[in-house]
Amino acid sequence: MGIRKQLYTWELHGDNTSGKVGDSTGHYPTVGVEHSILYGDFGYVQPARQTGLVREDEFIVLEKIASTPGISPYEFSVDAVGNLTRWTPNIFVNIIIDTTNYYQDPQNVWSSGVSGFASPYPRNVQDEPYYSLWPPVYVLPDQTVDVRYTIFNDIQLSAENEAWNNIPQATMLAGVFVEYTLFNGTDAMIARKLMNLGIPVNVGTVENYRRLLLKSKGLETETFDFYLETMRQERKRNKKERKLQGVATNNDYESDL
Amino acid sequence: MSIRRQCYEWRNVGESKNFLITPPLVINNQANDVILNRYPISAVNYKVGEASEKQFWRVVPIQPNQVVDIFNGDIGNNLDIPGQLKAYQFIVLDGIAVYPETFNAQIIVNTTRYFQDPDRVPSRMGGISGNAVPYPNGTPTLRQTILGLNGGIGGIINYDFTDGLNPPVIIKPGDRWAVEVTNNGDVFPFPEGSVALKTATDVGVARCFIKYLLIDGADCIVAQRLIDAGWPLTVENLWRYKQDIIKTHLYAGMAELPEEIANAKRKV
Repeated sequence: MGIRKQLYTWELHGDNTSGKVGDSTGHYPTVGVEHSILYGDFGYVQPARQTGLVREDEFIVLEKIASTPGISPYEFSVDAVGNLTRWTPNIFVNIIIDTTNYYQDPQNVWSSGVSGFASPYPRNVQDEPYYSLWPPVYVLPDQTVDVRYTIFNDIQLSAENEAWNNIPQATMLAGVFVEYTLFNGTDAMIARKLMNLGIPVNVGTVENYRRLLLKSKGLETETFDFYLETMRQERKRNKKERKLQGVATNNDYESDL
Repeated sequence: MSIRRQCYEWRNVGESKNFLITPPLVINNQANDVILNRYPISAVNYKVGEASEKQFWRVVPIQPNQVVDIFNGDIGNNLDIPGQLKAYQFIVLDGIAVYPETFNAQIIVNTTRYFQDPDRVPSRMGGISGNAVPYPNGTPTLRQTILGLNGGIGGIINYDFTDGLNPPVIIKPGDRWAVEVTNNGDVFPFPEGSVALKTATDVGVARCFIKYLLIDGADCIVAQRLIDAGWPLTVENLWRYKQDIIKTHLYAGMAELPEEIANAKRKV
């Protein structure tokens, strides 16, 4: 399993409370601040909260990021018994490689990233995203990749309005989706080689390089020796022939001196 | 990361001054129309229409024929300074979208406006329409919204610019650039003072989205070479040029030796 198409989804669900500051503490992300989808304090993150360190025998090509669409906090829906069934987080997503932010604004400083409107998750039938991560982002061995989201709609402050009395766990409030290709083992080495040659790293190019390697793999030792001896004999015969024809040069007589 | 796919999104959303203090539920209904270098923090307003009302969400109305610079227009999320490229940067602007359909978007590079009318005057409507490039795709029309049909039938789809602007707009090192939106309809979404400004849903939020390729560092030099050679500035061509450079170096190492060296008598 040297090449694997991977995906990672981060989701934030309700906590079966009203969501008010007095009822729920530490469950909902602070707004206007970025949080990691890998090791952040909120939502469904990896249990051990590992950072996204790419191991020395791995190579990652990050191909897609998406998040929950929507802007207005008034896009919420409540069912007949006061359960919040829909919420718009107004979320942006950024990619961080080591200490570098991928997204920057036109004045060349840090930006929040790409919005859910530009790259929605989940996608509805009418959604045709404007944004696609092209060219993809390469994450090299020993680099750390992180995907961080920033939410701008404050659900806890909104809950104070008492438009709902419960945020069920079944209600997904925000989501981030990441898709990437993981090359490991020898495929990671091939990926690195291709990158150094300036060739795009994707499944097709890595498999093609592997095919070329297999096609031109080293000959068996005995076969190689046979061809080597044959070449030597041919060179010797050719030299002898040139001497007999009188067209030999110094090079041909060099070994005789 | 010298070739990066970037995007910028503008919205006519202000931010309550309540968020500037702690605790937030103690001050009255004041808001800033412009927020610098970030997006506004919002929440459902507290008890709208009641004596204890506190404002946490407000959309800034755009007047008819009003032109708003999405970087420095003093409405919604803005930047400190205009967009200007550094000496080692290229931008390939290949995507633009705007909402609602009564809005138009214009790209400006230095003093030149991209969209123009057939008489060569900069577009009097203010550029490309939200009818052609809706944001997001499939967004309901204002008429659908008024009739309450936005959840039931389809909206406007971008069919004509599915691949963005082609050819794209190339912005060179040192160039200043901007994007303006123009409201060609009635005041959007509601007149100043309207309570509906505090309860607007997504259909009441004007927005403009741009997508561009930021080429900087060593790739900027490659980009200049491609332009000099008349090649389109695409990711694929940048890769191809760099492949050719590497290939040339590899071949240079494999080249045959000059004849006098190849034929020289061995010394050892």
